Amino acid sequence: MTGNSDNILEINSIEVMYDSVISALHDVSLNVPKGKIVALLGGNGAGKSTTLKSISTMLAAERGKVTKGSIIYDGTEVKNQNPYEMVTLGMVQVLEGRRCFGHLTVEENIIAGAYSRKLSKSQIKDELEKIYSYFNRLRDRRKSQAGFTSGGEQQMIAVARAMMAKPKMLLLDEPSMGLAPQLVAEIFNIVKELNEKEGVSILLAEQNTNVALRNADYGYIIETGHVMLHGSADKLLNDEKVKELYLGISKEGRKNFRDVLREEETKKLA
Amino acid sequence: MTEVLFFIEVVVAGLLAGTMYSLVALGFVLIYKASATFNFAQGAMVFFAVLAFVGFMELGLSFPVSFVVTVLLMVLVGFCTERLVLNPLMNQSEDTLLMATIGLGFVLEGLAQAAWGVEVRRLDLGIGDFPIEWIIDVFGLFVSALDVTAGIVAAVLIIGLALLFKYTRMGLGLRAVADDPGAASSIGIPLKNIMLLVWSAAGVVALVAGMMWGARAGVQFALVDLALKALPVLIIGGFSSIPGAIIGGLIIGATEKVLEVYLGPFFGGAIEGWAPYVLAIFFLLYRPEGLFGEKIIRRV
Repeated sequence: MTGNSDNILEINSIEVMYDSVISALHDVSLNVPKGKIVALLGGNGAGKSTTLKSISTMLAAERGKVTKGSIIYDGTEVKNQNPYEMVTLGMVQVLEGRRCFGHLTVEENIIAGAYSRKLSKSQIKDELEKIYSYFNRLRDRRKSQAGFTSGGEQQMIAVARAMMAKPKMLLLDEPSMGLAPQLVAEIFNIVKELNEKEGVSILLAEQNTNVALRNADYGYIIETGHVMLHGSADKLLNDEKVKELYLGISKEGRKNFRDVLREEETKKLA
Repeated sequence: MTEVLFFIEVVVAGLLAGTMYSLVALGFVLIYKASATFNFAQGAMVFFAVLAFVGFMELGLSFPVSFVVTVLLMVLVGFCTERLVLNPLMNQSEDTLLMATIGLGFVLEGLAQAAWGVEVRRLDLGIGDFPIEWIIDVFGLFVSALDVTAGIVAAVLIIGLALLFKYTRMGLGLRAVADDPGAASSIGIPLKNIMLLVWSAAGVVALVAGMMWGARAGVQFALVDLALKALPVLIIGGFSSIPGAIIGGLIIGATEKVLEVYLGPFFGGAIEGWAPYVLAIFFLLYRPEGLFGEKIIRRV
């Protein structure tokens, strides 16, 4: 799992603690190959956001710490960097819940994304044009106050803002949250387009397993801080356990991964 | 008719004095928005800044040179505050930060007095505290030249800061941090630099307010309490609103003068000192978020 230069990101069995006592991740390992989209799947509290924040070093702001294992991004170990340094290295996180600057206009929000690049006014204009070509809807709303735009537009602002930092890698935390299916599809289309045309690698945390796997190349399923299953997106989409537990294709009631594995175990023993 | 004129005079004087409260409150709002803490050291900064300014003047430096040197000194104070106080306490609770600013206040007060002594200094800005003649001629109003100067200076500074925030890269960063520090840091806006900008701006504001107040009442320790009048201003205007700070300052300035003149005699005078706090208590009871603050909604 280590030393593969085709991977832009390699996480080797990390453990994460909050406040030095609450353990959130126990053993998470994953790889993101260059130029690919990788989905990180799991329910509430599984550890998806914690994984993303440990990569972008946003953990410290919540008094969390990686206590074991290592994170290698683009050849450098992620250890004591701060989010600003990570952004200058080309790693940008789009936080859960969009988090637009509500009092700023849509355009100001997007321009703020270029803060770390110290561009001139004309360079900013060129970059804006490029961004608007992906996010057409935002061009019409450029002068509106971001706080008054719709949920879908705010999610687009958040992604557009992150793209202004010219990332090599984007961490997306639940882009589908609280959005109508049509908008979710629209946003995933844009994400896919950015991945293909701009070559940005993407690690995507999602609860919406179906949409995520349909757009990703590879998937990891985590539960209570452990990676339970991983494989190519196609393989996961056709996996019986995934179908039953995450895609809702099942005759029985709710279960989690552990229960299914335990059942299999007991069957084997019997 | 003279009654009405007199009332207008009182209100105008109050509004002009209020601009200075607005300015100091603006310093509080900036810091509150960027670092989510009420800066109790702002009063001490006012005292420190103006005492330093007078100190440099006494050393024989000219007015503009003293001013520039003091501004640089306040930027240095802001820098040290960020490095030695805020940065080590990053990600701690708001209460911890609040206590730290109280401590910082004591340190600044102590340093200022250790360096420049404790006696009351006179500060002569070359502007007298007497009525301007043409205003008497045209409007029949007695308005102090010092009040007018303070009003203009405060207005210019407020407009200047507003333009800085609206049109510069740093200003955009500051507004982003004020809206959502977490999101701002996620896209690579360095909180450190923004913090430095905010504390420097608060330092400059403190210096200007200290000079205006010091010119009237003498440069003395009481300035610390005067600056804390920004607290009722913010309770009325709302802690997180820049327009709120400005309007809150004007309201406090005007009301305290009116109350002083018309109700003061019944209380034996000098109610200016505490009347704003009484007003603030009413706001806390009936409109705790202030006139312009965001409604505080908490999920339980």
